[in-house]
Amino acid sequence: MERIIEQIPRFFTADNMALLLQSAGLTLAMTLAGCLIGFCLALVLVYLRQTPGKWATPLRIICITYVEIFRRIPFLVVIYLVLFFIQTVASNASLFSIAVISICIYAIAYTAEIIRGGLESVPATQMDAAKAMNFSRLRTLLTITLPQAWPIIIPPAIAFAVSFIKDTALVSQIGVFELTFRGKELNNQGYSGILVFGTIAMCYFLMSFPLSMLGQYLEKRLATPRSQRTSRKIWRT
Amino acid sequence: MNYIFQYGVVWDNFGALMEGAWLTFQLGVFAFGGGILIGLVCASIKTYGPFPLRLLVDGYVVFITNTPALIQIYFLYFGLPELGVRWSNEACVLIGLVLNAGAYLTMILRAGFLSVRQNEIEAGLTLGFSIVQQIRYIIVPHIAKAVYPALANFFVVVMVMGTSVGALIGVDELTGQAINLSSINYRWLEYFSVVAAIYVVLTFVASIGLALIGRWVFRVQVKIF
Repeated sequence: MERIIEQIPRFFTADNMALLLQSAGLTLAMTLAGCLIGFCLALVLVYLRQTPGKWATPLRIICITYVEIFRRIPFLVVIYLVLFFIQTVASNASLFSIAVISICIYAIAYTAEIIRGGLESVPATQMDAAKAMNFSRLRTLLTITLPQAWPIIIPPAIAFAVSFIKDTALVSQIGVFELTFRGKELNNQGYSGILVFGTIAMCYFLMSFPLSMLGQYLEKRLATPRSQRTSRKIWRT
Repeated sequence: MNYIFQYGVVWDNFGALMEGAWLTFQLGVFAFGGGILIGLVCASIKTYGPFPLRLLVDGYVVFITNTPALIQIYFLYFGLPELGVRWSNEACVLIGLVLNAGAYLTMILRAGFLSVRQNEIEAGLTLGFSIVQQIRYIIVPHIAKAVYPALANFFVVVMVMGTSVGALIGVDELTGQAINLSSINYRWLEYFSVVAAIYVVLTFVASIGLALIGRWVFRVQVKIF
């Protein structure tokens, strides 16, 4: 305990803090890049999955299998698979790009389900109307379904992105210089584990808490009236 | 790409992988069980408890859900020995996972608690139910029905995402076994593709089993796909 107190002034130096800030930036950059690219690709995946017609059955099966498989594999295993696969194909790929790719692969599987749920919440009559007006499928998606589905899609998508700020901690394992990696490094330099990992946890908290608050706020703002009904406490005396 | 897959070396060590899978399953079950206990206590406090306790539970839930599980487990593993508390690797992972699952399950169970309406209790009172009968026939079935699908999903999440974190502090569960074995002969791709397949099978069996249990016991439809 005395050791921790004695270390505090040595730990909270400008150098260490700059290092932590830099790695926090890297964590955020990875999450943002991975989740944005993943979200766009997930839109494509959902579009392909909803292709009508018998000839598209294999396409649908591929899309469903992709989602089902990657939602059931731990992120750590996905990181290792991507790392070793890419290193056998292109041995000089940067670790950062490998991290982003693995986040993308994972984000596609999860956000595809979120997007599908949002799209299916739009009444089917809207699509019939679009068909009656001879809209193409892409135009229906972009101008009719998506605008109505945004309120349903956005809050869980933000919640997912927030969960990914935390999941990027696992990327430290392949040697990307993000927060957790810095934490282990500082711990190896002899700083107390409680101090180091407490600080790192606070860094993650400061990044993820405002975003999850935003997600909750949007959920309240955008929610449909059906899910907004107030719930009363039971056993009120 | 001129990488040649040699799965023979994986099948030679398949037994070790299966042991890892068994440990993963056990860790998942215990972490989930402990999480349910914490979740029940915390959710009841958050719904019915006095204000200071509610604040405490809120702090716990917010802190745990906004920091990575890996950091929490590192904290237990690297931090606590400095205070003179020394646990084995498995204990660190298990305690970390229980605390982590407890926070999420608090939120899930609280949603279930809030879904019971005053009207239903009143209906029970009209029929002359005692408190115990109300709990037995109205509240528990209602909450169980509302919460079961989320719980079933969360069990899979704990078993897969949660336990794999343990590999990083040297617990030999499925991912840990894969790391150990593949660092001997560098057949990383083979080991990790097989391990991924084992995870898919494991969670598939778990979610189908849970869906069937839900169908029989609580009469709810749990989504498998």
